[in-house]
Amino acid sequence: MIEFKDVSFSYERGTPVIEHLSFRIEAGQSVGLIGANGAGKSTVMKLLLGLVSGEGEVLVDGTPVQKTTLSQIRRKLGFVLQNSDHQMFMPTVYEDMMFAPLNYGVPRDQAEQRVDAVLAQLGLEDLKHRHNHRISGGEKRMAAIATILAMEPEAILMDEPTAALDPYNRRIIINTIRDLKQTKLITSHDLDMILDTCERVILLSDGKIVADGRADDILRNRELLEANRMELPFCLAGR
Amino acid sequence: MNKMEKALHELSEMDALAAQDSPIHRLSPLSKLIATVVYIVVTVSFNKYQLSGLAVMVLIPVFLFQVSGIPVRTCFYKLRIVLPLVMAVGLFNPLFDRAPMFYVGSVAVSGGVVSMLSLMLKGVFCLMMSFLLIATTPIDSLCAALRRLHVPSMLVTLLLLTYRYVGVMTEELAIMTDAYHLRAPGQKGIHISAWGSFLGQVLLRSMDRAQELYSSMLLRGYEGEFRYAKTSPFGAVDAAYALGISALCLLLRYVNLAETLGRLLVR
Amino acid sequence: MHMADALLAPAVAATMYAASGVTAGISVHKLRKDDEPQKLPTMAVAAALVFAGQMINYTIPGTGSSGHMCGGMLLSALLGPQAGFLSMIVILAIQCLFFADGGLLALGANVWNMAFYGCFVGYYLIWRPIMRSGLFGSGKGAQRARIILASILGCVITLQLGALSVVLETSLSGITELPFGAFVALMQPIHLAIGLIEGLITSAVLVFVFESRPELLRDVNARPGEAKRSLKATIAILAVVALVVGGGLSLLASSNPDGLEWALFGNAEAGYAENMALDEDDFGVQSDAADKAAAIQEHTSLLPDYAFTNSDSAAGTTVSGIVGAAMVAAVALLICLAGGFFRKKHSK
Repeated sequence: MIEFKDVSFSYERGTPVIEHLSFRIEAGQSVGLIGANGAGKSTVMKLLLGLVSGEGEVLVDGTPVQKTTLSQIRRKLGFVLQNSDHQMFMPTVYEDMMFAPLNYGVPRDQAEQRVDAVLAQLGLEDLKHRHNHRISGGEKRMAAIATILAMEPEAILMDEPTAALDPYNRRIIINTIRDLKQTKLITSHDLDMILDTCERVILLSDGKIVADGRADDILRNRELLEANRMELPFCLAGR
Repeated sequence: MNKMEKALHELSEMDALAAQDSPIHRLSPLSKLIATVVYIVVTVSFNKYQLSGLAVMVLIPVFLFQVSGIPVRTCFYKLRIVLPLVMAVGLFNPLFDRAPMFYVGSVAVSGGVVSMLSLMLKGVFCLMMSFLLIATTPIDSLCAALRRLHVPSMLVTLLLLTYRYVGVMTEELAIMTDAYHLRAPGQKGIHISAWGSFLGQVLLRSMDRAQELYSSMLLRGYEGEFRYAKTSPFGAVDAAYALGISALCLLLRYVNLAETLGRLLVR
Repeated sequence: MHMADALLAPAVAATMYAASGVTAGISVHKLRKDDEPQKLPTMAVAAALVFAGQMINYTIPGTGSSGHMCGGMLLSALLGPQAGFLSMIVILAIQCLFFADGGLLALGANVWNMAFYGCFVGYYLIWRPIMRSGLFGSGKGAQRARIILASILGCVITLQLGALSVVLETSLSGITELPFGAFVALMQPIHLAIGLIEGLITSAVLVFVFESRPELLRDVNARPGEAKRSLKATIAILAVVALVVGGGLSLLASSNPDGLEWALFGNAEAGYAENMALDEDDFGVQSDAADKAAAIQEHTSLLPDYAFTNSDSAAGTTVSGIVGAAMVAAVALLICLAGGFFRKKHSK
C-alpha cells in the first residue's frame, strides 16, 4: 500500500538527507523504521505525507503523492506526531477528535458515533470532555492516537509513540498499537517497543536503507545495530 | 510558584468551574453573553452619585452565583487586577468634589466620596458578572456563540487556537524561568545580557512549532475553514433568561429598590 | 493600562468597540485576500507566546524594578500589522475573560489603546519607514541600529498615544473629578518611562531574531529602491513625535488645565458633543444642541447624567438609601447562606 521508488531528498544547498530510497509496505503490515538521529526517519514520514517533496516517486495505494492528490492521500494516512501538544490544537479532546471527520465531510451525528466508538475502543471515555492542557502526558499520547483513529485511516504513521512515557503508560501504548488492525509505520529509538509491535524493520543510516527484514532478525543482530549507532533491545541484551 | 505557574493554575481553575453542571451552565452561551453585556451596560450607566440604587445590582450576580453553585469568593482573587486602576482614578474624586452631599450623624459625606464608592462598586459588580459568564461557559461554547453573532471565523478560530497554546507556551516559559533562576540565584528578573535571547529562543522555536501545528492541521483535512464541533440550540429557556435578566436590570436601574425598602423603615 | 468596565460610560465603550471592530473587519478582509493559510497557526502560537512573554520580568539595570516587553510592536514586526492586530485582540480577550485583566465592556477601548496604536501606528509610521530608510547607512550594524531605534520609538509613541486615549476615554465618560490636564500630566510621564523600557526589551528580542533568522522579520533587507521614502517617512515620524511630546509638555507646563479643556471641547461640534455624551455642566459648553441633547438624555437614555439633580431632596432620600442599601446587603448575604444550605442538602 505504500511504495517508495528511488526517492531522494535534500534541503536547499544541503547534503542529501535521503538517497535513492526504495521499499514497499503491504497492506496490514507493521513496519518499524529505525536509525540513529539524523538518519532520515522523519524525512521519510514527511515525504510520505507530502509535507516535503523530493525526487523519485512515492505511491500510496498506487496513487503518486503530489499536490493534486494530497487530500485524497492524507485521508488514508493518520500521522501521530511525537509531540502531542503540536497535534492537539483544540481545547478539548472531543473537539480534537471531531476535527478531522468534520473536515472530511462526515455528518455530525456519524462523527459523534465514531468518536464514541474510538474512545470506547481505547478505554478513554473519561477523557472525552477533558481539556487538552489538563491531561497527563500518557493520557495526551492516548488522546492523540484517538484523534487519528477517529479519521478512520487505512494506515497509521507514528513518530516516537513511546517517547517520554513512564513504563506503565508505555505498556498501555504498546498494547494499543498491537491491537490496531491498520497498516503501521512506526519510527522509534525504543527498539523493545518495535520488537513488540512490528513484524518487519527497516534500518536507515545516512539516508540509505542498510537492512530490511524480519524484526526478529535485525533486532538480534548486535554487530549490525552497533555499526549503525544503535544498541540491542534491552530484553535481548542480557542473552 | 512563579507568575506563569499562577496563570496556568488560574486557567485550569476556570476550566474546572466551567466543566461543572448547573442550570446556568446548561444555558446557551449566547443567552448568557447577552445577559452579561446588558447587566454591565446598565451597571456602568448608573449616575455616579446614585450609590443606593447601584448597590441593589449586587443581588443579581449573587443570586446567579448561588444557582450556578460557584462560590462568590472565587472571583474576589481576580479583583487584585481590576481594583488598582479603578482606585487610582477614583481616589482623586474626594479631593476635587468636596461639596457635602448628606450627613451621617454629624459627619459630612462629600459627593467625591460617594462617587468614589460607586465607581468601586461598579468595578466589583461588572467583574462578578463577567466572571460568572466564563466560569459557567467553556471556551469552545463561547466561540460557537461568537460565530452565531457573525464574528469573523478567522478571529474566532484564532481565539480558540491561541487559548489552546496559551497553556502550552506559558508552561514552557514557566519551566524556562525556573531553570534560569536556578542558575541565577538572587536575581529578580532576567538580566540585561539575556534580554533578547531568553524570549528570542522560544520565539524561534515557536515559529517551527507553528509550522508543525499547521502540518498537523493539514494532515487532518484542514482547508482554511474551521468546522465547530458544538452547536448549542437557542431555546425558550435561553430567551427567557436573557430577557428576564435584561428586564430585571432595567427595572433596578429605574426603580431605586434600596430607597423604597429604606422608606419602609425610616418613614 | 487595561481599563476596567467601571471606567467607561456605555456610549464611549460602544464607540471604541465600533472603532476597533471596523479595524478588525478591515484586517480580516485584508488577510483573507492575501490568503496565507499557514498564517493562522503562526498567529496563534505567536499570540500565545506574547501572552506568556508579557509575564516575564526583566531586571532593569541600576534599579530594583523590572519591566516587560511590548506585544504590539513585536507582533507587527513579525506578522505584519493586520495579523498582529488580530493576535493582540485575542490576547486582550483572553486576558479579559480568564484573568479579569480589563473589562468585557472595555475590551473595545483596550484593543484600540493597546493594539491599534501598537500595530498600525507602530508599523506604518514607525517600523516600516525606519527599516526601509537608509538611516545609519547600510550593512548589518545599520540594520541592528534601525531595529533598536524603531522598537524604542515605536513603544514610546504608541504607549503615549495609548495613555492619552485612556485619559480621554475616562474623562469623556465623566468618571473622574481629576481635571483633564492633571490626569494627562500624571499619565504621560509614567508611560514615557515604561515605553522606553519596553522599547529596549522589545528591541533586544527583535535584534536576537534578526541575528538568528532575519527572514522572520518584516521589512528587513529591503531593496534599495524602497529607501526613497525615507525623507517623507522620517518627517512623518518627527511630526508624530513632536505632536505627542509637545502635547505632553504643554500640558505639564499649563498652569490652567481648564483652558485646555476649553480648547479641546469648547470648539467641539454639537453633534460630537451629543455623540460622546459630553455634559455641558462638566465642560462648560453652552450650545442649543447640547442643551437639547441633555434634555433628551435626562428623560430617556441610559447615559449617566452627572448633573446633581434633585439636590434639595437628596439629603432626605439618601438616609433611606443607606438603610435600603444595608437591607440589600443583608438580602445578598441571605441568598448566599440559602445557596450554601441547599447545596449541602442536595449533596447529601
